[in-house]
Amino acid sequence: MSSNSAADGTRPLRLPPPCSHLAAYRSCGGAAGGGGLRSLHRCLRRRPPLGRPEVRREPGEVPRCASCRRGGPRLYACLACAAVSCLHHAPDHASTPGHEIAVDVDRAELFCAACLDQVYDHDFDAAVVIALTTPAASRPPPPQPGSRAKRPRRVEYRPWAPDAPEWAVIGRRSSPLIVREGNASSSSTITTANSTAAAAAATSCATSSAPLPWGLRGLNNLGNTCFMNSVLQALLHTPLLRNYFLSDRHNRMVCQQKSRKKAYSKERSNARDATVGLQFCLACDLDAMYSAVFSGDRKPYSPAKFLYSWWRYASNLANYQQHDAHEFFICMLDGIHEKEQDPCKRPSHVSSGECCIAHRVFSGTLRSDVTCTMCGFTSTTYDPCVDISLDLDSKQDPTKVTGSKLHMNGGEANSMFASQTCGTSSLMECLERFTRPEKLGADQKLFCQHCQVRQESLKQMSIRKIPLVTCFHIKRFEHSSMRKMSRKVDQYLHFPFSLDLAPYLSSSILRARYGNRVFASSGDDSDTSIESISNLELFAVVTHSGKLDAGHYLTYLRLNSQWYRCDDAWITCVSERVVRASQAYMLFYVQKILYYKASENVVNS
Amino acid sequence: MSALNDGSSSPRSQHASRCFEDLLESIIVDVASECHRIARLGLDRNLEEEEEELRLSAQARVADPSSSGESNSKNVVDIFGQTHPAIASETFNCMNCGRPITAGRFAPHLEKCMGKGRKARTKATRSSTIARNRHSRGSPVTVYAPYSNATNSNRVPNGTTAGEEYTDYTFEEP
Repeated sequence: MSSNSAADGTRPLRLPPPCSHLAAYRSCGGAAGGGGLRSLHRCLRRRPPLGRPEVRREPGEVPRCASCRRGGPRLYACLACAAVSCLHHAPDHASTPGHEIAVDVDRAELFCAACLDQVYDHDFDAAVVIALTTPAASRPPPPQPGSRAKRPRRVEYRPWAPDAPEWAVIGRRSSPLIVREGNASSSSTITTANSTAAAAAATSCATSSAPLPWGLRGLNNLGNTCFMNSVLQALLHTPLLRNYFLSDRHNRMVCQQKSRKKAYSKERSNARDATVGLQFCLACDLDAMYSAVFSGDRKPYSPAKFLYSWWRYASNLANYQQHDAHEFFICMLDGIHEKEQDPCKRPSHVSSGECCIAHRVFSGTLRSDVTCTMCGFTSTTYDPCVDISLDLDSKQDPTKVTGSKLHMNGGEANSMFASQTCGTSSLMECLERFTRPEKLGADQKLFCQHCQVRQESLKQMSIRKIPLVTCFHIKRFEHSSMRKMSRKVDQYLHFPFSLDLAPYLSSSILRARYGNRVFASSGDDSDTSIESISNLELFAVVTHSGKLDAGHYLTYLRLNSQWYRCDDAWITCVSERVVRASQAYMLFYVQKILYYKASENVVNS
Repeated sequence: MSALNDGSSSPRSQHASRCFEDLLESIIVDVASECHRIARLGLDRNLEEEEEELRLSAQARVADPSSSGESNSKNVVDIFGQTHPAIASETFNCMNCGRPITAGRFAPHLEKCMGKGRKARTKATRSSTIARNRHSRGSPVTVYAPYSNATNSNRVPNGTTAGEEYTDYTFEEP
């Protein structure tokens, strides 16, 4: 099922074809007062103060059915003659040709009284949006979600293979890696009693056709360093990051030489004793680790040098103590960013991802809308983010406004609702909570530019740009400075292996804010066969088990459709079920399909 | 709440029940109207996939209710056929002081060695570190120069990889 999609991955909505009555009405071209359906915006308004769209009425006027004089919850105003009927009498009115189409007086939805069904029309939706756009907002919403965003020009993927001179370079500058599978003999720690088990274990994962994947190697725990090992395992197998380092884009030898030269010349001018300064670079140590882990050696690797560098970088975290894996992750990305940045290039904004590989892979953009509850004026800000931290609370938050996100549950309704009340939740629910409009407290009034005074506001978050790799951090560790205690939330969180972020994108959130009205397709999106980029695939899960201060981190990795448990030095195969049942702390998703952007730079070879 | 039909309902309670029914119907139609639009526009496209994922998770938890898969079973054989001791036994030289250290005890050692952490002494100065190193084997090493001695770095077993074979790049001695 192919579909058009906007730059940020949402598919433009397609309206169902009109019923015969609506089609006939459109072709006649006449609405009450002329001008077609679009002109109906004059008859609509936003229900004060900031409610949903409805048909205009005099103050104090109560719409009633022309036949039975009843008011009531379902009243329809005929588009041809403006007569109001209740649901019971609407079909009678529809028997007159041309009077079949009506508008729901309280909901501003078109209704065909002949088909007795809600019907949809582009022009009418446009009218509703015009009516919804309060004067305070001053600028109408964009006609097509994402159309105003500067879209990078997409180029088609061209597979590359080295030509003869390139093969020669490869031959000169590299040496083949020897794959040593089943290291039973080379490892000195194996005991003979386990030899049969060892043989079984070695063959259980590796089928005859699929050898054990590259880069799978245990990491020795250096003393409470499982927080570091778990994140490193995820990063070592983050596709784009891995490719970057394995294609030698950060060569540690060159980097060290450069920084040594720089320090030396600085030392010379300072005439100081040449201690050669602190030439540490987290990216270099990561490069060394990639080389080691992908070398084919299966003996567990000790990331000692890395620990040393990291402690020098993050001296406040440098102690023999269990740390938070997420904290380490953020710190690492900062460390790579600092060292990877080329000071000669003009500084680019972090969100564009051009500053370093860490941001190119992980950086996305969040949008925050703050709406004044008095006048409806909305101010928008964009912030870059390298991950999305989600709350887990099962308690109902009374300040959250129930948004228009509705869960349509089919037959599974009962079990799902039951699980909700028991306090389990899903990643999608967390995201829904994250993007729900939140009424800020009376003590958090924000300044409204239109009212020129502090007003109570609504805040709503959404995802403006999905990064290439999305890291979700589940806030399981609560630190309450008020109660001077911390606790861990053990609540199970369901997470999907395939995730579609489309409902949480800014374009979708904005569209929902306007009641999912569909505007006329302006034909901006000519990329007809491009799949949505909001489809993500899970490849790594960092889990935490145990108590807050006496717990253990480990990572599940998916390589070649097989899941592996990476528990410090121990790598084992696990089934999907084990991964699904685990207690997720950090989830790593990668875009299913990656696109190539036309390069702005000419690369010097 | 069903209408009372016991004949004793007063006009007021009938009126109240009609009001309630109108309110209830209004709410139901609100939801129905929104859902109808969402369904017709295809916004709930992923519902089936989401439900399938939820079902798989529920099944997985039934099979593994105690999350026993998470337990620290350190006596297993890994996929390469290896077993490992609970505390990593590999040894290498500390980059700070040069002493050979067991991997599993490297972090606590490094903490004291670098002068960090609660249990460490006050931050080691160059002089105190050099004084300490005079007693260790080998020549005194400077504190902050990881690549100062090419032979030292080559002794780290983890470091030897194919990548080190570059002949075009040489380590410069400070």
